[in-house]
Amino acid sequence: MSKQTFTTGQVLTAAQMTSLQQTALGGGSTTAKTASYVLVAADAGTVVQMNSAGATTITVNTALFAAGDTVQIQNVGAGVCTVTAGTATVNTSATLALKQYDSGDLYFNTTSAAFFFSTDAADSTSPLTTKGDLYGYSTLDARIPIGTNNQVLTADSAQALGLKWATPTAVASGLTFISRTSFSSVATQAVDGVFTSTYDNYLLIFEDMTAATGADDFYLQLRYAGPTTETGTYYGWCETYDLAGTESGLGWSTPNAAVISTSTGSGVNTGNGHMLVQRVGNSSEKAAMTGQYTENETLSGFTIFGGAVNTARTYTGFLLKSSSTNITGVVTVYGYAKS
Amino acid sequence: MATQNPNIGIYDYTTGETLVREMNPEELTDYEAGLQATAKAEADKVKIQADKAALLAKLGITADEAKLLLS
Repeated sequence: MSKQTFTTGQVLTAAQMTSLQQTALGGGSTTAKTASYVLVAADAGTVVQMNSAGATTITVNTALFAAGDTVQIQNVGAGVCTVTAGTATVNTSATLALKQYDSGDLYFNTTSAAFFFSTDAADSTSPLTTKGDLYGYSTLDARIPIGTNNQVLTADSAQALGLKWATPTAVASGLTFISRTSFSSVATQAVDGVFTSTYDNYLLIFEDMTAATGADDFYLQLRYAGPTTETGTYYGWCETYDLAGTESGLGWSTPNAAVISTSTGSGVNTGNGHMLVQRVGNSSEKAAMTGQYTENETLSGFTIFGGAVNTARTYTGFLLKSSSTNITGVVTVYGYAKS
Repeated sequence: MATQNPNIGIYDYTTGETLVREMNPEELTDYEAGLQATAKAEADKVKIQADKAALLAKLGITADEAKLLLS
């Protein structure tokens, strides 16, 4: 029932009590409307239900309602029903445009100022549309579209939603993975573009190296300007100790390559080792290479090597090969941070 | 029938591309020059070993005796 002013001694009927109960439970008598409507004082404590296929308004004017009065507004029609401030003010955190089956309570804080507490379904409607979307917020709910692979979510106050997907920057210190290349039965294997100005020193890891003829020497030559292999002189030495402790050596200048081992490895007796590459990123320096290598169980045993290329230039990559046959294996490149 | 050149594997970090193809003429020249240099060095090494063995035989001493002589 609408809001009543009871008097002393008044006797309520059962119907009135039932209606009051309904109102107390959030329901109450409903005034059905099919066209735009201006609220009247008798609407206090009732439900105004709009049912129109077209757009409508419900206008709120001042001096009709007392402080504390409420009017529940529902829209069951297909047309949008907009709660409109007439001479009164209407404040809300949500929209005043009610879609079909939206509703809200108009609460009068004073006779001329009302708050609209919306139960608008739009408030709980997800803005997410795409796999991986996140739920964000600016001044209202919005989606944060998924980023690309390997990006991380980053706070950024310049973004509308305060967040963005971004590629993580390289760590300022430590060893950074650059590339890992597997190759199988090739005469030579080039790895280009891995030496850049980002790092001064690089670590190469050789894993499971084999040559068609396992006792072949294992060589590395530097590359520059993309695809060009440095075939000039290399000065250095590869010293090998076999399983009996007998040592033998091979200079770098004959093959014009850094000799990593006098035995590459074969079968299950693969070769494994590492090389520190330095001074590759400076056009006025001669790159230096040092390292160790072991060819498992047979043939060479253990190798240490070191030397430099005799031509100063900016090197960008390297090429692996054996002294005569195809090679198979894996090489991984890491960069040492400058600071 | 055309002879197939040896294969070169190339990984390019800047493009992320990996390919295996026949060596081009320039790459083949570099590769074969390396093979020849290595073969020559190996042949030289074998010749030196043979010369040493011949000298030891001529002197009638063993390699350990020759080391002792030079120590």
